[in-house]
Amino acid sequence: MIKPNTGELDPQESAASEIKSYTTGFIASLLLTVGGFAAALSDLPTTWKVVLICVAALLQIITHMRNFLHLSFSGGQSREDLLLVLFSAILLTIMAGGTWYIMSDLSGRMHQTMDSVASAQSQPHSR
Amino acid sequence: MSGNTSPIFGNLNWNVTPYTDLLQHVDSSTIVGAGAASVLVFGAIAGVALFTYMRWWGPLYRIWLTSPDAKKIGIMYIALALVMLARGIIEGFVMRAHQATALGTLAQPEAGLVAPDHFSQLFSTHGTIMIFFVAMPLLIGLINFVLPQQLGARDMAFPVLNQVSLGLTAAGAALIMISLLVGQFGTGGWTMYPPYTGIDFSPGEGVDYWLWAILISGMGSTLTGMNFAVTIFKERAPGMHFMRMPLFCWTSLCVAIMLVYAMPALTVSSAMLALDRYAGFHFFTNAAGGNMMNYANIFWMFGHPEVYILILPAFGVFSEISSTFSGKRLYGYTSLVIASMSIAVISFTVWLHHFFTMGQSAGVNIAFGIATMIIGIPTGVKIYDWMATMWRGRVRITTPIVYLTGFFLLFVIGGLSGIILANPSIDYQVHNSTFLVAHFHNVIIPGVLYGMLAGIHYWFPKAFGFRLSETWGRRTAYLFVGGFIFTFMPLYVLGMMGFPRRSPTFQNPEFLPWMYVAAFGGVLMMCALASLMWTFWTSYRNRTALAVPGGDPWNGSTLEWSSPAPVPEWTFPQIPQIQARGDWGEAKRAGDPWKGPERYTDIEMPANTAHGLLIAGAAFALGFAMVWHIWWLAILSFLAIPGMIALRGMRVITPKIIPAAEVEEADRRFRQQVASLASATRADEETERNRGVPDLSEFAG
Ligand code: HEM
Ligand SMILES: [Cu+2]
Repeated sequence: MIKPNTGELDPQESAASEIKSYTTGFIASLLLTVGGFAAALSDLPTTWKVVLICVAALLQIITHMRNFLHLSFSGGQSREDLLLVLFSAILLTIMAGGTWYIMSDLSGRMHQTMDSVASAQSQPHSR
Repeated sequence: MSGNTSPIFGNLNWNVTPYTDLLQHVDSSTIVGAGAASVLVFGAIAGVALFTYMRWWGPLYRIWLTSPDAKKIGIMYIALALVMLARGIIEGFVMRAHQATALGTLAQPEAGLVAPDHFSQLFSTHGTIMIFFVAMPLLIGLINFVLPQQLGARDMAFPVLNQVSLGLTAAGAALIMISLLVGQFGTGGWTMYPPYTGIDFSPGEGVDYWLWAILISGMGSTLTGMNFAVTIFKERAPGMHFMRMPLFCWTSLCVAIMLVYAMPALTVSSAMLALDRYAGFHFFTNAAGGNMMNYANIFWMFGHPEVYILILPAFGVFSEISSTFSGKRLYGYTSLVIASMSIAVISFTVWLHHFFTMGQSAGVNIAFGIATMIIGIPTGVKIYDWMATMWRGRVRITTPIVYLTGFFLLFVIGGLSGIILANPSIDYQVHNSTFLVAHFHNVIIPGVLYGMLAGIHYWFPKAFGFRLSETWGRRTAYLFVGGFIFTFMPLYVLGMMGFPRRSPTFQNPEFLPWMYVAAFGGVLMMCALASLMWTFWTSYRNRTALAVPGGDPWNGSTLEWSSPAPVPEWTFPQIPQIQARGDWGEAKRAGDPWKGPERYTDIEMPANTAHGLLIAGAAFALGFAMVWHIWWLAILSFLAIPGMIALRGMRVITPKIIPAAEVEEADRRFRQQVASLASATRADEETERNRGVPDLSEFAG
């Protein structure tokens, strides 16, 4: 692995352990992806499917960060990187949460409940 | 439309130029349209002829277009922005001229220079150009030029990516330019809200021009943001801790972060609208479960951070010049850093204030209204810091200081009208009126435009080796200040009187006097533009008298003033060791700052490449083909881009090596020259005696 800010190779980390980390990450990601598809294709109730897919997605994000992006709480550089990732997470939460807050309020006032969407789809010229 | 799409030419045919409109129907509107197209055509022909006659094509290609040097890329960005600025200001003037003649009667409501549809195209292109192809390239260009020099780096972290970003921005600008000649532009304003811009209500090519210009150039800006961020994190010179960086670097860092997080939102909203238009999706349509409010939501999730992306680099410039031209250290460095960072974060929490009146409940409005008012605080802190910096300094009224003064007076008014608009119940009264138009021009022109022009004036000698004429510089600045006041103050009044923005016509004669005042302001703005161009020309002609080979014409304290003017390709003969904030200033205090390095080494620079140029060409072809439904070309150019990237990835690329002897020779010559030049005092700054070697005893920054 390359030492931060220098471009020098870090002797402590050998290529073998590098490859091992990448392989673990790759296999884990693969399993989690397949798991998501399996959940979608299974005949579990819809709520369960959604929950399973979300959990698999979250786990996969963490796998990518750990094994591919080398984030961890220890070590100067990885810590700095982790802070950046947390900052991103805050911004994404603001955006996603804000959208949810705004759009749910609006859809309530536009009388756009799930029922009305469904009925609008079944009878296009309802208005 | 799609019924008669030709497999080769798509929807293109001979009826799409403004000349065909002119032949069908002669009136002032078609004449203006054909006139604008002719300016484009003749301008292009004249440009080609000039370059051929002067044999400039070779140097243009070798020295500029294929260069991965961030300084050159920055200059090209600014050149692009100035061309687009000319078009934007002329369009603004045409709109002002139109509205001054647009008084209709109730029986005959339409009047004025141009037809309503043409007017809608004007404000749509004007807004799009000014935001995406003037303000953005200006600030990205300035950061490209200044940031590596201030950090003590030789280049950006990813020089070729930088070239690609420039290419994508230029491709977007070219799409907008070509829309003058081929087809029409959209009429949905710079925000292009659906459902009006959906395929049902805007079937033609206009909205697609906007979409592809935005998608392509937006991609470029995202990449730029990443490049800036990585450069600041990884390329600082040894010893350049974060808290030693000049303020311009700090605001660049904020801009970089905001570009990375805000631009994707724009790409997403535009891509969704494109899917609606091209592939029959229903994200934003009225029917089939679409919800157009989500467009406004996502667009402004980008749009509000965007306005701070525009203003923060200007804040950086003002921090540098207020200190340099008052001969004082910047007041409240830490508070300025904290304020910039707070702005960067808070600006992601206020976007709803752009659609207070679009139907959400009062609770939501209040939450975002309060957030909006809070963001005024850090900005206020900054204004006080700059005033305190100048307080009791020996302020020289140079051109940048004229801009700064104009900014102080006018930006505060614009900020104040913003705080007024942040109150949802007041916003209900004045939204969509020219009060709003006055407000945003009131922050954008004194903020972004003055800031960038001040920055260009300030760093111009570093780029080209000679100063800009102070006389003409000041004249330009005064014209921009006066022009602003006359053009936009009346719009506050008109807005209060109830005049809606984007109106092609009106029937109330009481509006007319204010329209005349605003039109006069438009004339002043045109004069300012001409004066700006003249400043460059006359300074170029006097370049020997204005030359500053010493490289430090303003007695500055940041690193970039330690190198010669024009700055060499490698910037620093040896990467400096940073000892303090304002390192160059500390070196001046310590005695002889112009000591050369003891030993010179070979310098490795990225080699020139046509990569960015090729990708820009493919991106332009992709955009144009998609606009006109020329599918074969679209597929071809879409595949060409990853193809070229893969090809480059597989080649071994040898960097350019500048031999130590060459560096040593140039550097020794520079140091001898500095030693032989007489130093200039503050009083001599504007005279020929200023050769770029300041009187060190006067340094107090
Ligand atoms: C320099 C002289 C300028 C003049 C005379 C001018 C004039 C105008 C006019 C007449 C409008 C239409 C107002 C309406 O809708 O009623 C407008 C809109 C606009 N201007 Fe300017 N402007 C100038 C500079 C700028 C600059 C420097 C920027 C930004 C960098 C800018 C950004 C915009 C935007 C975003 C709109 C809104 C377009 C829309 O409605 O979608 N303008 N301007
Ligand atoms: Cu805003």
